[in-house]
Amino acid sequence: MIGKKGKLLLFCYMLLLVVLFLMCSTDLIIREPEQEVYQIAVIIEDATDNNYGNFRKGMDQAAVELNADVRFITLYGKLEPNQQMEFIMREQQDGTDAVIVAPVDEQKLFDALAQKQITIPMVLLGSELAEEKIIGTITVDNKKMGQELARQMLAQTPEEVSVVILSQQEKHSMAEKDFREGITKELSGRGRAYQTIYCSEDVNLKEVLKGVMDSGERQIVILTESPELLTLTAAIGAEDSLFWEEVRGLYGRGDAIPILNYLDRGFITGTCATDEFSMGYYSVCMAVRELEGLEGDVSLRMDYHYIEKEDLRKKTYEKMLFPIE
Amino acid sequence: MRRRIFFLLLAVCMLLTSCGHNQKDEQKTSIRIGISLYRGDDTFINNIRSELEEKAKEYERENGIKVTLDIQDAKGSQNTQNNQVERFISLGCDVLCINPVDRMEASGMIEKAMAAKVPVVFFNRQPVEEDMNRWEQLYYIGVDAKETAILQGQMVVDMYQKEPESVDINGDGVVNYVLLEGESSHQDSLIRTEWSIRSLKDGGVPIEKITGGIANWERSQASALMEQWLLQYPGTIELVVSNNDDMALGAIDALERGEVTGVNVIGIDGTTPGLEAVRSGKMLGTVSANKELYASAILELAAGCALGKEAPKEYPLVDGTYYWTPQEIIIMENTDK
Repeated sequence: MIGKKGKLLLFCYMLLLVVLFLMCSTDLIIREPEQEVYQIAVIIEDATDNNYGNFRKGMDQAAVELNADVRFITLYGKLEPNQQMEFIMREQQDGTDAVIVAPVDEQKLFDALAQKQITIPMVLLGSELAEEKIIGTITVDNKKMGQELARQMLAQTPEEVSVVILSQQEKHSMAEKDFREGITKELSGRGRAYQTIYCSEDVNLKEVLKGVMDSGERQIVILTESPELLTLTAAIGAEDSLFWEEVRGLYGRGDAIPILNYLDRGFITGTCATDEFSMGYYSVCMAVRELEGLEGDVSLRMDYHYIEKEDLRKKTYEKMLFPIE
Repeated sequence: MRRRIFFLLLAVCMLLTSCGHNQKDEQKTSIRIGISLYRGDDTFINNIRSELEEKAKEYERENGIKVTLDIQDAKGSQNTQNNQVERFISLGCDVLCINPVDRMEASGMIEKAMAAKVPVVFFNRQPVEEDMNRWEQLYYIGVDAKETAILQGQMVVDMYQKEPESVDINGDGVVNYVLLEGESSHQDSLIRTEWSIRSLKDGGVPIEKITGGIANWERSQASALMEQWLLQYPGTIELVVSNNDDMALGAIDALERGEVTGVNVIGIDGTTPGLEAVRSGKMLGTVSANKELYASAILELAAGCALGKEAPKEYPLVDGTYYWTPQEIIIMENTDK
């Protein structure tokens, strides 16, 4: 038989159990260890991610490994500096921990940083700006890349072939500008004449190239400053084989899948590419490292490689061009 | 005394249980959509993905609501897709848009979404009806496969009626055809095959099948099959009926390699390279869904779900669940439309 005191003790014991259960179920006593998920935004200079395929794979890989929440943002219009600044501000306002930016306008970005409008850490792609909030930069020497491409082209092209450089009419990214400068520097340095054709969006590229061929009555070799122009020109070749017979070679930069397909099919002679997967991976690593208060590389200069059809199946390049996440 | 203890206990319980519910209902200014693609290298899916990105930007500008798209490629693995769905939910996506790898295996993803109360818009590969009926927050956007197939057949019927020798190339009164089929597990593949051929027969085209094969929607596989058929049946193939554009282009690749002319090739999807082939005369025609409308329907419906709004009226849902995108025949004469 339990006495009055015993009953009270039993009641208190039951009450304690209930309270403990409730406290446990509401995380007051036993807390699940919380792993912080860092919010990172990647804001590029382009309106599409066509040239960022491998970069995104690297970025996603790092996001999973480092438990980061990475969002990839393209602009409404290619190379719109104001829009890019708007997006950076919007992300900052929305509580993003860090941003990775391929700047459209370095000066605008620098001003915003100097005026303390941007207060979150930033990793830059293709720019070496130095500022307090810039915690890392990843760059490629596009000028030297252009020179290398021109060197390779010259080594394979006889003197009598006309050299044509295709350039965007209106807007140029910093990379495109540097790349073209590298090409022209090399050509001028070797005393090789060239003709630059500025292409606007509505121009019929095929007609323009035909015009060049007809005027000189010679074969031509084409160098393109952007991956878009390289793809467009190769597509013309794939469509019209008769026209393509007059084109001695087509060179450019980029490693997007259509470019690699055209390279494989022989419509592109050579392209310069970088390890985009690693760029994406390291950019996220840099941001997370900073957010965790760890030290590491703050600037990274990526190598570039000149690739021809035969190189596509080489192990080193295969891994770089077709990375498996 | 007992009553006092009871009320005290009740008060403690109420206090503790209310701890986890301090969220406020706020007007959403941003939405996050998790998109999982069965295979990112599928040309049609890639076209839809590009359209979706464009539509998201448009939606952002028009409505002032930030739209974040998390797009992932499942690379043909249902397991990978399941993990992607889990990750989307853990990242707080408001709605999921899923292009299932295996339409028979959607139940696992549906369960996860239901548990997290995250609506799902499936597209392109239709989950089985049983799964779709499990929750009212499940939707499907695609094309009516039967309509697609009938239009594909109609394209040849029209041509045959106008000019029989343009289809019956050797003039023997019989149109010999080969058939390239998509995955055997895809519902569209079976329906497209059945109704396309039936439509040709009903339209009075005297067809006779030489052979057929499954090329899993892939250009390279179709190309290899076609190459083999050209060797096996030299000079007899007059028509290639393909379940999609990629496989039709694979057949064209083989025809070009073998320097074979006078074979009509028809596809489905209206992909960018497919339309290019029609424009250049390499492909007789294709059936194209209005991709802009397709992507708009996915995005508008997903955004509506995320914001807790009703389904947009511009995209009327059949049975409150399905939206069928309109389609049209594309031949050389109307490629620039």
